Amino acid sequence: MLYRIIDADDLPSLIRAFMESYEFVAPVKHGQGYIFDVIENPDDVVLDYPTTIASPKKFFLPSEETLFKFDVAENDVSEFELDVKPRVLFGVHPCDLNAIERLDSVFLDARYSDPYYRARREATLIVGVGCTPTASCFCHRVDADEAPRGYDLFLQDLGDRYWVSISSVAAAEILEESTHLREATDDDRAAFAAATHRRTAAFDDSIPNVQDIAMLMDTYHRDPFWAELGSRCLNCTACAAVCPTCMCFDIKDILSPDAKTGERVRTWDCCTSPEFAQVAGGHNFRADERGRVRHRMYHKLNGFKVKHGSMLCVGCGRCVRACKTNINPIEVFKFFDEKTRTSAVTTKEASDAE
Amino acid sequence: MPNSHAHTTSVQVTKLGSADHVKTGAELMAENPYRPWPARITSITDLTATEKLFEFRLIDERIRSAFHQDPGQFVELSIFGVGEAPISISSAPSKQGFIELCVRRAGRFTEVLHTMQCGDVVGIRGPFGRGFPFEEMKGHDILLVAGGLGIAPLKSLINYIHDERHAFGKVTIIYGSKNPREVMFRHQFEMWKHRNDFDLHLTVDNYEEGWDGEVGLVTKPFENLEVDAENTYGVLCGPPVMYRFVVEEMRKKGIPYDRIYMSFERHMKCGMGKCGHCQVGHQYVCIDGPVFNYWEAKNIQGSM
Repeated sequence: MLYRIIDADDLPSLIRAFMESYEFVAPVKHGQGYIFDVIENPDDVVLDYPTTIASPKKFFLPSEETLFKFDVAENDVSEFELDVKPRVLFGVHPCDLNAIERLDSVFLDARYSDPYYRARREATLIVGVGCTPTASCFCHRVDADEAPRGYDLFLQDLGDRYWVSISSVAAAEILEESTHLREATDDDRAAFAAATHRRTAAFDDSIPNVQDIAMLMDTYHRDPFWAELGSRCLNCTACAAVCPTCMCFDIKDILSPDAKTGERVRTWDCCTSPEFAQVAGGHNFRADERGRVRHRMYHKLNGFKVKHGSMLCVGCGRCVRACKTNINPIEVFKFFDEKTRTSAVTTKEASDAE
Repeated sequence: MPNSHAHTTSVQVTKLGSADHVKTGAELMAENPYRPWPARITSITDLTATEKLFEFRLIDERIRSAFHQDPGQFVELSIFGVGEAPISISSAPSKQGFIELCVRRAGRFTEVLHTMQCGDVVGIRGPFGRGFPFEEMKGHDILLVAGGLGIAPLKSLINYIHDERHAFGKVTIIYGSKNPREVMFRHQFEMWKHRNDFDLHLTVDNYEEGWDGEVGLVTKPFENLEVDAENTYGVLCGPPVMYRFVVEEMRKKGIPYDRIYMSFERHMKCGMGKCGHCQVGHQYVCIDGPVFNYWEAKNIQGSM
C-alpha cells in the first residue's frame, strides 16, 4: 500500500476533482443526525461525523429496484436496461467498509455473481475515513474496527493534514492531480499512531468481549433468554433497514395499471418480519418472535461466519439506536457473558433446558 | 481533466434474438441468473384433486441444451405478473429436454398455474441446489420414504434409479399418503408392483373402500423390513412432522447418520444464497441443500 500526506486545505480540491467525473455521495447533516447523500457543494461534506442513521448499502442494493420488465401476453421479458453512473462514496467509516466487504462476499460470489449489485459496485469508488467511536459502537467486539481493504482511498485526520492510504490507480490519479502529496515524515507517523491510540481508548470497554460465540450460540439455542428477547420484538424491521449488512430481499412482480406489462422487482426484506420463512400452504418455519429474533442473531454472529469466515455484524451500533425495545448484539454478548461467569449450577440448568 | 477510470456500467435484459447468437446457453444463463427463460407446457396430467404433473420444454435450443439437472434439484418457475416459486424437479436427468414439475394447488401462484394449458408459456430459471449424491449411492441398497407431496422431489431420484436400475442394489420404496385419493403416480406404482426389483410399499393413513395397498403410517412398513445397514442409503422427504419419526426408524435399523438423506422445503426466492428466505441455521437450503444428510441436518440449529 502507498501512504502519503495531504494538507487539510487540499480536501475541497480533492472533492471537486471527484465531482468532475463522479456522482458524489458523502455524509451530510440531516436534521439531528447524519446521512449519506448525493451532494454538489464540497462544503456540505462532514468528515468528522458520528455513525450515519442508515448505512450506505442502498447505493449498492437499493431498497427497491427493477430486475427486468415483462410482457404478460407473451409471458416473456421485454427490453430493460439499467445504467449506473460512476459514483464516489466518500467518507465511509471502517465498520461500513467491512460491511460492504460482507455484501461483496455474497453478491459477487463466483458461482452466482449478482449483475445488478456488480454493476453498481464496479462503478463506485470508495473513500474511507477514520472515525471516533460513539456510545453505541461495538466494532471492536466483532473484529470490524479496522478495514485493511475495501477502499480506493482511506483518510485519517491528523488535525491540519490527512494521512492517506492509496489503494487504487483511479483514486491515485485524482489525488495526484488535485492535491499536493508528500511523503510521510516521522512526525506524521507519530501523529498517526497517536490518533490510533486515541481511538482505541475511546471504545466502550464495558461491552463484554465474548469468546467462543459459535459454541455458545449452539449450546444456548434453547435458553429462555431467546423467548424473553423475542417477546420484546415489535416486528418493525427497523433493525434490518438501518443495518449495513442486512441484505435479505423479496422478489415480486408489479403490474402496470393496464395489467399488460410489468416489472419484476426486488425489495429489502427482513428475517424478523412474520411471513419471512413461510412456505406455500401456510407452514411457517419461524412462526414466533423467539425463533425469528434468535435466527437473526444466530445468522449475524455465527451462521454467516461459518460460511464466510467473518461475522455478519460490524458493530456499527445503528440497530442499538434504531430498536425501540433494545434488541441488539450487545444484549446477546451480555447474556453470554453473564452465563459464562456465573456458577456451575447455572450451567447445569442450561444443559437441562436443552 | 475527467478521470479515465470513471465509467458507466450497465445491466441489460432483452428478449432472446439473433444478436445473442455468439453466446452459448451456459453464458446466457450465467450473465443474469435472475432472468427466467421461456418454456412451453407440453403436457399436463391430473394426479389428484389438488396436484398436477406439468411437463415443460425450454423453447430456446441453447438454453435447453445447457440445462442439466441432478435428482433433487429445483427450478424457479415464473408466471409473469403473478411471480415466481421454487419447485422441485420430478423428472430424471435422463429425460433430456423436458422438465417435469409436480405442483400442489396451495396458493395464488399455483392456483394460476393450475389454470394453464398445454402450449402456454412460463419462465424457468435454474436448476438450483445440491441434489442427491446419486453417484455415491450407486452400488448400494436404497431405502426411500416419501410422505404426501414429498414424493415430488424424490420422484427425480426414483426415476433415475429406475433408468439405471442395474447400478443399485435392493431398492425399497415406502410412500405414505393420508388416503387413497391422495396417492400420486398411482398408475406407475401399480405397474411396479409386479416388478420384483422394487420392494414397493404404498400405504395410507386412512382406509377407504377399494384400497388394496397397506394401511398405517409411513413408519409401519419398517416393522418387517430387513435392512443391510452397512450397505444402505436412506432417503426421505415429506411434511415437516414426518422427518423425526422416519429418521428414528432408519437409525433403529442401523443406517449411519451420513447415509440418511433428506430434502428440505423452504421458500427459496432467489435460489442463489442471497435473498435469505431459506436460511436455516448456518445453511442456505437453496445452495447448500435442499438435500442434506442427517448429520448435516443435526448440525443445523432449528432444522428439525
